[in-house]
Amino acid sequence: MNKKKWNLAPYLLILPSFIYLAVFFAWPMVRSLQLAFVRDSQILPVLAEADPDADVVGRLEMQTQVAVVDRTRLDEVLPNGRTRPVYWFKIVGETEGGEQIEGWTHQKNVFIESRTTSETARVTSGEGAKEWTLDYVERMINDYRFTNALKTTLILIVLILPIQFVLAIVMALVLQAQLRGSTIFLYIYAIPLGISDLAAGLVWVSIFTQRGFLNTFLQQIGIINEPFIYLSADHQNWMIVAIVLAEVWRATSIVMVIVVSGLQAIPREYLEAGELFGASLWQRLRHIILPLLKPSLQVALILRTILAFQVFAVVVAITGGRVLTVLAYETYRWYDPGDSGFNNPNMAAAYAGFIMLISLAFAVFYLRTVRTQEEAARE
Amino acid sequence: MFRTKFRSIVILVLVAMLTGVLGVSAQDGSVTFMSTQFNIVEESDKIRTILADFGEVEFVPSEEGPMIDLLRAEAETGEGSVDLIGALHGTFPVLQNEDVLFDLSDLLAQLEENYELPESFVELGKLGTADYQYYIPWMQATYIMAAHVSALEYLPEGADINALTWEQFAEWAKNIYDGTGEAQLGLPVAGLFHRFLEGYLYPSFTGGMVTGFKSPEAVAMWEWFRDELWPYVHPQSVTSYEFMQEPLLAGEVILAFDHTARLINAFNDKPDEFVGFPAPTGPAGLGFMPVVVGLGVPYTSADPDGAEALIDFLLQPETQGRVLQDLAFFPVVGGVDTTDLPEGVAIEAAAVEAQAASPDALPALLPVGLGDRGGEINEIYRNAFSRIVLNGEDIQTVLDDEGAALQSLLDETGAPCWPPDAPSEGACQLQ
Repeated sequence: MNKKKWNLAPYLLILPSFIYLAVFFAWPMVRSLQLAFVRDSQILPVLAEADPDADVVGRLEMQTQVAVVDRTRLDEVLPNGRTRPVYWFKIVGETEGGEQIEGWTHQKNVFIESRTTSETARVTSGEGAKEWTLDYVERMINDYRFTNALKTTLILIVLILPIQFVLAIVMALVLQAQLRGSTIFLYIYAIPLGISDLAAGLVWVSIFTQRGFLNTFLQQIGIINEPFIYLSADHQNWMIVAIVLAEVWRATSIVMVIVVSGLQAIPREYLEAGELFGASLWQRLRHIILPLLKPSLQVALILRTILAFQVFAVVVAITGGRVLTVLAYETYRWYDPGDSGFNNPNMAAAYAGFIMLISLAFAVFYLRTVRTQEEAARE
Repeated sequence: MFRTKFRSIVILVLVAMLTGVLGVSAQDGSVTFMSTQFNIVEESDKIRTILADFGEVEFVPSEEGPMIDLLRAEAETGEGSVDLIGALHGTFPVLQNEDVLFDLSDLLAQLEENYELPESFVELGKLGTADYQYYIPWMQATYIMAAHVSALEYLPEGADINALTWEQFAEWAKNIYDGTGEAQLGLPVAGLFHRFLEGYLYPSFTGGMVTGFKSPEAVAMWEWFRDELWPYVHPQSVTSYEFMQEPLLAGEVILAFDHTARLINAFNDKPDEFVGFPAPTGPAGLGFMPVVVGLGVPYTSADPDGAEALIDFLLQPETQGRVLQDLAFFPVVGGVDTTDLPEGVAIEAAAVEAQAASPDALPALLPVGLGDRGGEINEIYRNAFSRIVLNGEDIQTVLDDEGAALQSLLDETGAPCWPPDAPSEGACQLQ
């Protein structure tokens, strides 16, 4: 038997995860990106007769004013036993090309003041027509809150990431030093990992709010007399501070976990050799630990940056999402069909696509700048 | 032993959940009533208790979006599980566009023989048509003012709390600031603040909601708001205040504006400490925004007779009175017994009545005819606020910018003007 025969088994083993990725990641991603570039407009096909299967005589745009020249009433018998009068209207209107067309349409496609007497109507629905458009992207970029959201998101990344990385490395080194009771540190560090970001945001709101812990504390030790209002439109810097604190508190441990695993992969021999040659702690850190940590730092950087572009609940909890806003919140706001949203999935998709693009750009940037030694040596 | 027990409990719960879900469509002989109101558990329980007096009613609370999707899908198949829907006025234009509702004109004629329904709400239920009754008004709410009794000593001299002008209101807020050293007027900027701009300030100052958006009166209004009122508004309004009852009860603010349902806890918890009063009047009148909840019957309903009987039951003054008492939504029919209300509800009821009965009353309706783009108009008003008041941009420039966005929204949806603006032929036009 030929041993070099193509082996199907590994591909079969990969297949489920491939299908999983394709169905649950690639396909929805493509579809949502498509939303950002396709307008789901409608156009009304006007029919030759008062019958859904009749020939189409022409198509009218939405909101076209039409004259109603004739009407016919059908009594539709419903499964519940009632009859429902359904009107068909013979309408005359002008197509986009300026052509006059005359034909029939069902009552559900037009707005008409009175179905029995009105002589004009307005086209309000029809069949779906898709067209490619850059309108949503343009509208996003010109949106009043877009620059605000982008700016805040970037400021947060610039402020949060360095603090988190320094802290995470220090925390990891403390754990690595195997001090007495260092496992307790691990547990303490890990607590925020188990808390949802919204809960974390609310915790910090209760610290910074007017009658919150911080003001009460400062008042009690006599530093301030009146409660200071941190979270207001006039003190946007304080809001940034609160968000940075909340995010650092909440998400540093994830970086730490990655750094710890990276530290454990560093062979002890290197450090012992360094010690033998009289390298100080700082020199060992600078010349042995950090270079060898690069791969894990790279992973952590990419992960944290992508997560930072998605920061959402903490910001909404602390700022209310009005004065300061971030990209992920804008995405949600456009999508939200509720009272505070705009119910516009296309714009939401444009924002989501933008977040993906900018995250990708950062990931590529990190991959190219923070290189490991092997990669650099390969060139 | 414990494991098997645990597992059987899990299975039981799952079965209960599944049958509960299926129950919506599988129930026989009962009326299925889907509502976007009362979808908080305690509220659902209260309305179920009230509905129990009617007979077999399956009350299904729902969010607006899922309800629209369900009705749309049922219309496509031709057979449905929902017999009656209860929703805010703003939900109905979407359903009108989908053509999924019965014309209730005949039912309305019958109901009007027994109940006294306000003409303006009945007209609203026609959604701009002349003779198609999409919904029957069910209940109403609105936005009012609330003050802590400690604020009353700062009331400007000679001012009547039930007939304030916006100038006096600003003076009051300033007096509070001067007297206490704190800005203690609260506006729900993190909540339904857009209604304050659309339904209260704009109509009071310009006489309309939309047409006067960038008029000289609007410029003067924004100047007044920025310089005379905003300095005395609690700074946390922008970031934290969503339901004003909370900061009122916490004592952070002593004067506030909000939806009746978002103030009721303050009045109920401490009826002796809070007073309710109507919104102030401006140069053009007392603009206020009634919120109407309507009842509609999808033509796919399996039991339209049951649905109509349930509408009749819901409009009975006794039922309306119980809804007011237990759920703090105000009646739409006359003759409701209001003598024995819980104190908090009574406070609100008095303020609501004074507001609607004012000789200058200028009811401003929710945007009609914008279809599913109703949310965008709110943001235009909010943007104008953020840019003018928070960022200090030039008023006329901002109003011209945002006015252009408003005009294109109106043009794209073809929405004609709605009250308090004068009716228009075709899409509403800004001055």
